Amino acid sequence: MKSLRALLVRLAGLFNKGKRDRDLAAELESHLQMHIEENVRRGMTPAEARRQALIKLGGVEQAKEQYRARRGLPALETLAQDIRYGLRMLRKSPGFTAVAILTLALGIGANTAIFSLIDRVMLRPIPVRDANQLVIFQWKAHKGFLNGEYSAFNDCGERGVGTTGCSFPLPIVSKMHALTDMFSSVIACAGPADLDLSGNGPPSIVQGEIVSADYFSTLGVGAALGRTLGPSDESFSADPVVVLSYGYWQSAFGGSHSVLGHTILLNNVPFTIVGVADRSFTNLSPGKRQDLWLTIAMMPRLKISWGSNIGSMENWWLLMMARLKPGVSLEQAQTAASLTFRNEVLYGTKPYAKATVDPKVVLTRVGDVLIGRRGALSTILSLLAASVGIILLIACATVAGLLLSRAATRQKEMAVRLTLGASHGTIVRQLLTESVLLSFLGGVLGIAFAYWGVHAITVLIAGGSSQGFPYVIAPDWRILAFTLGICVVTGIVFGLAPAFRSTRVDLTPALKESASTLPGSGRRAGRFRLGSALVIAQVALSVVVLIGAGLLVRTLENLRSIRPGFDVNNILLFEINPGRLGYRGAQVRNLFSELRDRLAALPGVKSVSYSSDALLSGGEWDETVHVEGQPAEPGVQMNLLAAGPGFFENMHIPLVEGRTFNGTDFEQAPQDDAAAEKSAKQNPLPLAAGLGVDAAKPGAPVNVLVNEAFVRQYFPNQNPLGKRMVEGGSSSKATGEAWGADMKSQHWQIVGVVADTKYDTLRHEIQPVVYLPFTSSYGGYFELRTTADPRALISAVRDVARKVDDKLPLTSVTTQTQEIDELMSQERLVAKLSGFFGVLALVLACIGLYGLLSYEVSRRTREIGIRMAIGAQQRDVLRLVVGEGIVLAIAGAAVGIGVALGVTRYLASMLYGVHANDPVTMIAVAVLLVLVALVACYIPARRAMRTDPMVALRYE
Amino acid sequence: MNHNTSGKANDRTNSKAEDKRDVQQGTLALMILKTLESMGPLHGYGIARRIEQTSDNLLSLNYGTLYPALLKLEQEGCIASEWGVSDNNRKAKYYKLTRAGRKQLQRETREWEQTAAIVARFLSPEGENS
Repeated sequence: MKSLRALLVRLAGLFNKGKRDRDLAAELESHLQMHIEENVRRGMTPAEARRQALIKLGGVEQAKEQYRARRGLPALETLAQDIRYGLRMLRKSPGFTAVAILTLALGIGANTAIFSLIDRVMLRPIPVRDANQLVIFQWKAHKGFLNGEYSAFNDCGERGVGTTGCSFPLPIVSKMHALTDMFSSVIACAGPADLDLSGNGPPSIVQGEIVSADYFSTLGVGAALGRTLGPSDESFSADPVVVLSYGYWQSAFGGSHSVLGHTILLNNVPFTIVGVADRSFTNLSPGKRQDLWLTIAMMPRLKISWGSNIGSMENWWLLMMARLKPGVSLEQAQTAASLTFRNEVLYGTKPYAKATVDPKVVLTRVGDVLIGRRGALSTILSLLAASVGIILLIACATVAGLLLSRAATRQKEMAVRLTLGASHGTIVRQLLTESVLLSFLGGVLGIAFAYWGVHAITVLIAGGSSQGFPYVIAPDWRILAFTLGICVVTGIVFGLAPAFRSTRVDLTPALKESASTLPGSGRRAGRFRLGSALVIAQVALSVVVLIGAGLLVRTLENLRSIRPGFDVNNILLFEINPGRLGYRGAQVRNLFSELRDRLAALPGVKSVSYSSDALLSGGEWDETVHVEGQPAEPGVQMNLLAAGPGFFENMHIPLVEGRTFNGTDFEQAPQDDAAAEKSAKQNPLPLAAGLGVDAAKPGAPVNVLVNEAFVRQYFPNQNPLGKRMVEGGSSSKATGEAWGADMKSQHWQIVGVVADTKYDTLRHEIQPVVYLPFTSSYGGYFELRTTADPRALISAVRDVARKVDDKLPLTSVTTQTQEIDELMSQERLVAKLSGFFGVLALVLACIGLYGLLSYEVSRRTREIGIRMAIGAQQRDVLRLVVGEGIVLAIAGAAVGIGVALGVTRYLASMLYGVHANDPVTMIAVAVLLVLVALVACYIPARRAMRTDPMVALRYE
Repeated sequence: MNHNTSGKANDRTNSKAEDKRDVQQGTLALMILKTLESMGPLHGYGIARRIEQTSDNLLSLNYGTLYPALLKLEQEGCIASEWGVSDNNRKAKYYKLTRAGRKQLQRETREWEQTAAIVARFLSPEGENS
């Protein structure tokens, strides 16, 4: 407290110095007078009295100096002095200052931009109360565990369905509820689901998260307006209500308080808005967009494609979380949960799996598992973080090199200061102040760059994907603190070596000679060695960044040149989901064929087809299939696609063998209406999109087509036509008797083979695919082959759809080429950004090389002059300078390639069709670098060439 | 207490001018506070003279070091200063103890006495035996 007070007084002491000095002088003067008077009284002569008084005081000026040191804060005053001096020095060499600040601004700005993205995407905690008590359930089992439906929403970053996952069926959730001595509550959620919304302006699609009724109370999330969901919304007979997210409330309802009690139609079902969630709660999984929440009990009414049989053990679709009871450890809870899970799955009323798959449950704290879109973005961001980190290093090395060159020209200044008594510490402090000052100036400009950069990157990310960029990046204190820290560290890192070197001055020669002495002294060689090492490091680092960029650009090129197996040009795609609006069986099929006829009649449309999913849309439909002649267990996961009439002709997929679908195939295929009506008795929902698995005409085979990959894998060197397979379990006793009987007789028969095409994404190898006749009772994709730009037809297509049913929204309207572009959005983003950073690194390395060489040329002006005077040709001088630069560049490139060989394997998972140590890329980058270095060397070399020997010799 | 300290010095040295002791680090502030407590408001020269007299001229006080010490005490709020007129009609800056300074004096006196007692025990062999 006392010292704080003193500090404040001393801070105040920095101001109003004049008055304080006069005050002190008066006080000391009065002191002296009193002392002199007393001495005179004791009998001294006035002169002696004064002398004695001064001796006793220890000198007036010394006393004043001591006093002043105590009055203000000397350290602060010295700092201010250093800064003032530093600024003056920077102003004196504006060229150096501009290049250094710009270099640092690029380095710091790039880092600030990437850090603000990383901070927002990866470092923010999940916005719930006591997140570390909240655990998430994951199951683990051996292969072949899953059968039936499985839906994942990418909350856990799981890839495909295999031996682990985060989705559970509703009965398991109920069993976990019973573990009341472990968990204070268990919640489940799924989605978000695309819901058709009307009743608030034109129809739109919203993202609705399906949650259990105690979701909000367990997470500790309150309502900004009205209420959240509660126990009263739990039952199947409850009034349909929704809670809006704050963001959606603002954007769709303008934040109006009158939304409470307002009714909206979701999939044609009236829902009452009862509240708006807290502003801070946007979603549980980072980056997922959620507009509103509704309870699981509403699922039967909403007719969501993955929401059939929601109470069944066969439908795994719910993300499950629980809050641990106080005092219960994660291990205890996990043991109990695992036992319950195992019991229910293996020995429950309807056993789901055999004990050999060894199912168990793993509990993890939510923050570690729920990654949502973070999973996809974190790879990109880590890569970018590595690139910008290297760029900052290059920038540091560049500026250190520039400072080093400048240190030579300031040798005299340093020598003078040392001679006059400055300590080495003082000079190092002064030089470090200058370099930190430089990096702060760079930082200020860098923040401006970062602001622009973040904007550009988010636009890039959002532009490449239909989901947009789900984060809002705003500068805040965390980012400013990061930038501040980076400025200080950068300033010290690049300033330290030159600063220490500057104080190692041999005084006498430094004072006597000018900076441009003849070469040959040991000191010069030493300085040059450090400068060369810096340039080699810069070149090497930029080679690493460039090679990474090169590999990613080649990946993008390789993906672009993939032939997907069908004609992607001039195709317009869109999706309709009449099932959501209550269309049933035959109604759906009639709607599809009516739309097809009407669309085909549009001018500019060549042909029209439809299918369960569009090719290369990123979606896939897998089922377990048992193929004739293959072992019955466990069956194979097969990619399926239901194709409407004329699909293969329309997509230009060639027929290899047999025939494509004809009218009878569609009639013969099981029709969904029977299934829908049957399942409606237990459950108001029809089965999932695609073919009906429940047979309408038992015994009659369903005619299917397969691709060539299927034939290669299962019937090599055989005639595949007429071969049969069965979907689901032939061992389907485990999956329920209601199906089993029908399934046995419901087999598929191959009537044709078509050429291979890519199925879900470009990257995946072509897998066996079975094409079924399209008999959906739910929804599907239309493909329009057009004569010209398909986008010109969009409004005409919408008009047609409106005439058929004005409540039917068209979704995912896009072209096939756009669809493919979107698949490559991540690769394109990464290629663009890493390419940009690669060029940046190259430019910085060239600045470093240029700086070193022009410094060398200017300090060797006299040497070059002498060489020319005694007969050296311009060519020789050129060779002298350029040779020096090229040697450095080649050395740097060699080191860089060595480093790259070691680190590019971390990129391997992002590459396609190019090896991580691809020699072509490495050599191309090295050649590019040496060529650019040649240009950077040529400019100073030309200056050296033009040296006039007479001028150079008189130059001193 | 000042007498106490200087008394100890007296035991070991003769009062010759060249044997005068320098003021120990940190004790000057204590001496200033004690002087102001016993003498009331006083100017810098007066404080210096008083400290020397109290120590029987055994302490050699560099007057120049007195003023930074006064400034430090003032910055810490232990003393306050104002311009006044001396006995022989000369303008001088007078220092006086504040309430915080009085408390500080008491605390430092107590600490110093404890330290002195402990050191005394170590130095006297009889104390060690008992």
